[in-house]
Amino acid sequence: MRFLVIVKATKESESNNAMPDPKLMEEMGKFNDELNANGILLAADGLHPSSKRARVHFSGKNRTVIDGPFAETKELVAGFWIWQCKSLEEAIEWVKRCPNPMNEESDIEIRPIFELEDFIATMTPETRANEEKLRAELESKKK
Amino acid sequence: MRFMMLMIPKGYGSAEPGTMPSAVDVEAMMRYNESLKRAGVLLSLDGLHPPSMGARVVFDSGRPRVLDGPFAEAKEVLGGYWMVQVRSREEAIEWAKRCPVTGNDTIEIRQVQEFEDFPQEVTDVLKGFTEMQPQYPDARH
Repeated sequence: MRFLVIVKATKESESNNAMPDPKLMEEMGKFNDELNANGILLAADGLHPSSKRARVHFSGKNRTVIDGPFAETKELVAGFWIWQCKSLEEAIEWVKRCPNPMNEESDIEIRPIFELEDFIATMTPETRANEEKLRAELESKKK
Repeated sequence: MRFMMLMIPKGYGSAEPGTMPSAVDVEAMMRYNESLKRAGVLLSLDGLHPPSMGARVVFDSGRPRVLDGPFAEAKEVLGGYWMVQVRSREEAIEWAKRCPVTGNDTIEIRQVQEFEDFPQEVTDVLKGFTEMQPQYPDARH
């Protein structure tokens, strides 16, 4: 099973001059190496804070563009990993071993990813073939 | 520049475990995904099961605490994401606007931190961890 593991934003991470603390980056680097050595790590990235953000809100056929920053700091994503784990419990155990990703109180959210098999019942054979082709092409692009 | 387009579907925070998108929605979204791919914009994408099937780990008092989903206090939750390679924030916004959403959802556009965005003292630390360099060789222009 794959999981999206989300580091939630904090006041500090959303401030405009937010840049990572080198000591924390080093601890996080060690943790990432350990994830990688155990075959857990598939992808990881950090996202820029507030000032560069935008939202597109959909209401029926209308699209409204809203520029950041946004007030609900604790709901925002600061960074993420994609992990391959056997179960939600295994993902939780790994997250507990993660260094606190912020120099203040913080949350990490673990969300199982939809796999193709989850959709099979709702897909036409054609949609399914297209989806498989798309995924294979994206996969080969990474190599 | 890489951007993450984060899909925030209205009401997904209270969705039951096992909630699935409809075949019609999946098909419309697949056509959109294909248009992103044909334009050479799409790097990866995924959809997420509802928060009721997930968990949170809270770092607030020494030992991490585990909370099982759903999360009553969450007003906005993630339903999925696209990772795209575009020339500007404006281009990412234009792509987001074309998404075939019929409801009352929001897509948030966030720029990804690249290696060269960090100050020297941080890149020095990162050099020791080669696994964590950008995974997409063509993602650096």
